[in-house]
Amino acid sequence: MITFESVTKHYPGGTVAVDALDLEIPDGQTMVLVGPSGCGKTTTLRMINRLIEPSEGRILLDGRDISQTEASELRRGIGYVIQQTGLFPHRTIVDNIATVPLLKGWPKAKARDRARELMDLVGLDPAMARRYPYQLSGGQQQRVGVARALAADPPVLLMDEPFSAVDPIVRATLQDELIRLQAELHKTVVLVTHDVEEAIKVGDQVAVFYPHGKIAQIDTPQHLLGAPADDYVENFLGFDRGIRRLAFFPAAGLDLQTGIVLSDGSTVEQGRRAAKQAGESWVLATEAGRLPRGWAALADLESRDGHETLAQVPLAPYGHTFRVGQDSLRAALDATVLSRTGLAVGVDDQGRVVGVTSYERLRAAIQAAEEAADGQGARPS
Amino acid sequence: MSWAWANRALLAQYTGSHLYLALMPILFGIIVAVPVGVLCVRFRWTWPPILSLTSIFYAMPSLALYLVLIDYTGLTDWTVIIPLTLFSLSVLIPNVVDGLRSVPQPVRQAATAMGFGTLRQIVQVELPLAVPIIIAGLRVATVSSISLVSVGQLIGIGGLGYFFTDGVQRDFPTEIYAALILIVILAFLADGLLVLMRRWLTPWERARGTRRALSATLRGSRAEGAT
Repeated sequence: MITFESVTKHYPGGTVAVDALDLEIPDGQTMVLVGPSGCGKTTTLRMINRLIEPSEGRILLDGRDISQTEASELRRGIGYVIQQTGLFPHRTIVDNIATVPLLKGWPKAKARDRARELMDLVGLDPAMARRYPYQLSGGQQQRVGVARALAADPPVLLMDEPFSAVDPIVRATLQDELIRLQAELHKTVVLVTHDVEEAIKVGDQVAVFYPHGKIAQIDTPQHLLGAPADDYVENFLGFDRGIRRLAFFPAAGLDLQTGIVLSDGSTVEQGRRAAKQAGESWVLATEAGRLPRGWAALADLESRDGHETLAQVPLAPYGHTFRVGQDSLRAALDATVLSRTGLAVGVDDQGRVVGVTSYERLRAAIQAAEEAADGQGARPS
Repeated sequence: MSWAWANRALLAQYTGSHLYLALMPILFGIIVAVPVGVLCVRFRWTWPPILSLTSIFYAMPSLALYLVLIDYTGLTDWTVIIPLTLFSLSVLIPNVVDGLRSVPQPVRQAATAMGFGTLRQIVQVELPLAVPIIIAGLRVATVSSISLVSVGQLIGIGGLGYFFTDGVQRDFPTEIYAALILIVILAFLADGLLVLMRRWLTPWERARGTRRALSATLRGSRAEGAT
């Protein structure tokens, strides 16, 4: 647990970087500090490992005032990752990662073994161990940076805009990796970013900063999107927060329609009946193994001989599917919006059709999810 | 050529003393320049006065200094070694400072945040990264020192410079040429050794291509023509 007790940082000349900040960062969670540049988020982060000393107030790490611990001693117990990686150009990858264990006086062989373990953990090819940082791509260097920060297994990990310097595709991969690592390691992570999408994606808790060193709101990403504290936070989150919030509701909450899912051996007459019974104007034809094949329009079925099979009818493409077990309502909504029929196909992990959703069914699921979320709204803060 | 062969023992003896007179100042210079350079980077206010001082060393005519020093050190090697040490400092200190300043800020910050102590960070991170620029300075200082030793001959302590004055007095140009060629060879050899030393000390630079190393050399050199 990291605790800020009315911490202020001002610089000579009167600039206030951080203003009477109170903040609790619980163990094993990812706390994201997000805000515009100059809002004090980086200063806040750097005060945790004493790269910057507060002007007033104190910071406690597990109840102990960090100013009472010798600075380099404190820092060896706190991992640190920065945007520009800060890798040592003159040391090989394995020695870069082994830095803190070596500082702590581990024998060289043990430190290197540990470094190789970490290369594996962050998904680096062991063949890179003897290379130098400049021989790696930006994304690989950032993985080395994360591995180096984790080498001595510190309980706390500070990350200062760790993924801002890499391209969007690599960034998304690294964010996924961080989420995966965190699920495995349960570190207390404090991550600074100016990217609100990143904050919402990787944070368990998100602290939104006002421009001048005060916190506007601390909340889970889901609650932040659902109930921004004020206009500033709402503007900061961006315009489509309602849709983005759906990413936190699982698609499993949908009541899927199965009546209009028919095998392509079914007759046109069966198709007509199924569509009318369900009150829909399309039926989904599936092929062997319940894999989706395409949509048959009721209007088209009406004009055909009832004894034909659906396999003989021209079908509209079924478009994007969503995975019922893993995807969110956001993915289901997206698939529905993209579908020509206004209906989207939910599949299982093997791609077999589970059922079909419509806007009406999505609306009901969203409403239910919001009610459930509001029900647990009385969280400790 | 036959003269050189006939006098090879004498040439070897003077070559030895020439190297001694030229390289001792470099050794003293680097021993002083590294801590002073570190100081100038750590405590910024010390840099302007020290820079002025090195410029004075650089501009000072060595002959005048020899004559002043004779009163104190007499006609000993020190009379030559001390001025040349001051000269080498005028090249080495700015290079150590440049080298240390070339260490990227994120690298320095990361080192601090990893928990390096001040001294350890200087020795294990900053100085190794400054090596290419420091060696560029060493090359300039060494080559200059090897050539400047011969001026000491004006007070009788000048290594191979002996053959210059001797050759003029006896109107015998052969020995002047022989000594001149030897001095040039010594300068080339010393420079080559320093290049090898840089390669050995900076394995991470090797595969990076010559571009960075070259720019480091250009930054570090004031008047280098040896390569």
